[in-house]
Amino acid sequence: MFSTYPGQAVIDHPVSAPIEHRFDPYVDNGGTLLSIAGNDFCVVAADTRQSEGYSINSRYVPKSVKLSDKTVISMGGCYADCLTLTKRIQQSMEWYHHAHGKVMSTAAVAQMLSIMLYQKRFFPFYSWCILGGLDEEGKGAVYTYDPVGSYERETCRCAGSASSLIQPFLDNQINFKNQESRQRTLTKDEVLRITKDSFTSATERDIYTGDYLEIFVITNTGVEVQKIDLKKD
Amino acid sequence: MDSLVAKYSNSASTSFDTEDSLNNNSGGWDAASQFALPSFDIPLVANPVDFLRAHTDPSAENRIRIQHGTTTLAFKFQGGIVVAVDSRASGGSYIASQTVKKVIEINPYLLGTMAGGAADCQYWERELGRRCRLYELRNKERISVAAASKILSNMVYDYKGMGLSMGTMITGWDKTGPQLFYVDSDGSRLRGEKFSVGSGSTFAYGVLDTGYDYNLSVPDAIELGRRAIYHATHRDAYSGGSINIFHVKESGWSFEGNYDVGALHWEYQALPKGPIA
Amino acid sequence: MSIMEYNGGAVVAMVGKNCVAIACDKRLGVQAMTISTEFKKTFQVTPKTYIGLPGLATDVQTLAEKFRFKVNMYKLREEREIEPKTLAHLVSSTLYERRFGPWFVEPVIAGLDKENRPFICSTDLIGCINFAKDFVVSGTTSNQLFGMCESLWEPDLEPEELFETISQSLMNAVDRDCLSGWGAEVTVITPDKIITRTLRTRQD
Repeated sequence: MFSTYPGQAVIDHPVSAPIEHRFDPYVDNGGTLLSIAGNDFCVVAADTRQSEGYSINSRYVPKSVKLSDKTVISMGGCYADCLTLTKRIQQSMEWYHHAHGKVMSTAAVAQMLSIMLYQKRFFPFYSWCILGGLDEEGKGAVYTYDPVGSYERETCRCAGSASSLIQPFLDNQINFKNQESRQRTLTKDEVLRITKDSFTSATERDIYTGDYLEIFVITNTGVEVQKIDLKKD
Repeated sequence: MDSLVAKYSNSASTSFDTEDSLNNNSGGWDAASQFALPSFDIPLVANPVDFLRAHTDPSAENRIRIQHGTTTLAFKFQGGIVVAVDSRASGGSYIASQTVKKVIEINPYLLGTMAGGAADCQYWERELGRRCRLYELRNKERISVAAASKILSNMVYDYKGMGLSMGTMITGWDKTGPQLFYVDSDGSRLRGEKFSVGSGSTFAYGVLDTGYDYNLSVPDAIELGRRAIYHATHRDAYSGGSINIFHVKESGWSFEGNYDVGALHWEYQALPKGPIA
Repeated sequence: MSIMEYNGGAVVAMVGKNCVAIACDKRLGVQAMTISTEFKKTFQVTPKTYIGLPGLATDVQTLAEKFRFKVNMYKLREEREIEPKTLAHLVSSTLYERRFGPWFVEPVIAGLDKENRPFICSTDLIGCINFAKDFVVSGTTSNQLFGMCESLWEPDLEPEELFETISQSLMNAVDRDCLSGWGAEVTVITPDKIITRTLRTRQD
């Protein structure tokens, strides 16, 4: 045992107690993601801050990846696991393309991702996944997952560190919960406005959310990406 | 247990991505292996079970929350079987979803319900569906509910003690008529007339036992199922959302509606109250 | 399981234009089982001050009585109503007396002072006061409430607007919490009247 600090006393004592070695391969890198399905579009948004404990690793690490012209995946949790999972999805999609001569549909990617997650049932990927895109009929589709692959198609969902802050707001503004009389279908601009409001609010109270907001808008003409500033404190 | 660990210690996670292990990406196996069990990645530690427990435990630092909480029920009566479930998924005290489909449509004649780990039920009942289809293709007839439930029971029994969590009811109509089985991840498989599973099951049983009669008409039986789940959602914190009801009859199952508990409560409140018959 | 989550419950308070609002849910549970749906967690302390006490129900009731006693003693001694800010410090010191064996309650205070200026604050379970100019939240639903209030609240809301804002915030927040909900009560305090309304919410 030695110290790198000059003048610091070093106590070198024999270790008699057993040392605990625990395999702890998970780290929570924070961050928030959400996806909202519209009639003929889908919005996938995530902040770009990556943290570890109270430190910020980077202010710009995108959490969302475009998988095809109709599908975007967004993941939060342990960044290393998310990277690996994204790579595996992309690879399988490429093989599917070579084998079948067509691009994998959103529904097919959704089912595949569920199985990929469950394959690691006993050594889970620490990742919260949201898959956004357009279905075979061109309608917006959002698929959400738990870390071991249970999945469901929904109209809107928020996951990650600020999910408990944003989700009730989405229930209220997108699904019109507790204001059923105002129920109507929302336009793309309205959905984008609500998305931005969600993240500016979450940035105020969640330390793991902030820096930039990256929004993917999926329509039948392809995927558009916007980058918006969030608070950096 | 050690033999299980040894069996899986050669899976994809132990080697680098060779072409062979890359094929595992799409589920770890292909349909050609038919009745083989899918292979799962196992962490390379002395005790993988403890590893998983440590990371999914409520007290774990970076907890991997797996969705839980439920009330489900199914009972036999003269018109077949009624299956009723709630739709809430919770992670801790947070409500993760109010719109979960807890009745899994295995095929047009078989239904499974979902309680415990959502992923476990979804995955294994999908796998059960695949195996039942293979059975049909090989034997030119539908599988019996008894056999189907036993396939599920045997599959999950292979993983006993490894952390799977499911409490399910398998129902359907086969040559012998309506059938109802309870299957769980401990390996239990029980045939019965009336089951309720999940955190709200005690409340549901209370209503079910009070109102149950084998000679109930179809609408009355459906109403009893709905009522039992409603009372469970009211008293049990981890149940709620909406109620999904299915009716199993000779021609297969049919969906009998989705009822949001938020509105249903006030409908029931408006009804006149009377003594229990 | 945390003792703060044993019974469940949520309280929120908001500032408006010359008014304040405080709201609570009405559930009393024992872990997963709902025992009562008429357990209100806000209490009137003076004609223009309310205190909300979410947390362990036994301590909620004990503290509600304790504060009633202390506020009455204050009134007899001083021959005037206690100011909300003074009440905040009374609550704080009462809680800190039990620094090493705390009351499991995180109070919220809302009221108008003698000049009818709005005042809200919250404290932690050992009495650290958080003065806020916009809103304060407390209880098992605090994350959800923070998200809702941060998005819906705006400055200078009139009493009716404030009622709508706090109601929507509370209802949508508790609908994402297993341990809170089963009805809610909202109180809006204005210089000339107090409006208390019961909300019809989901019962699951």
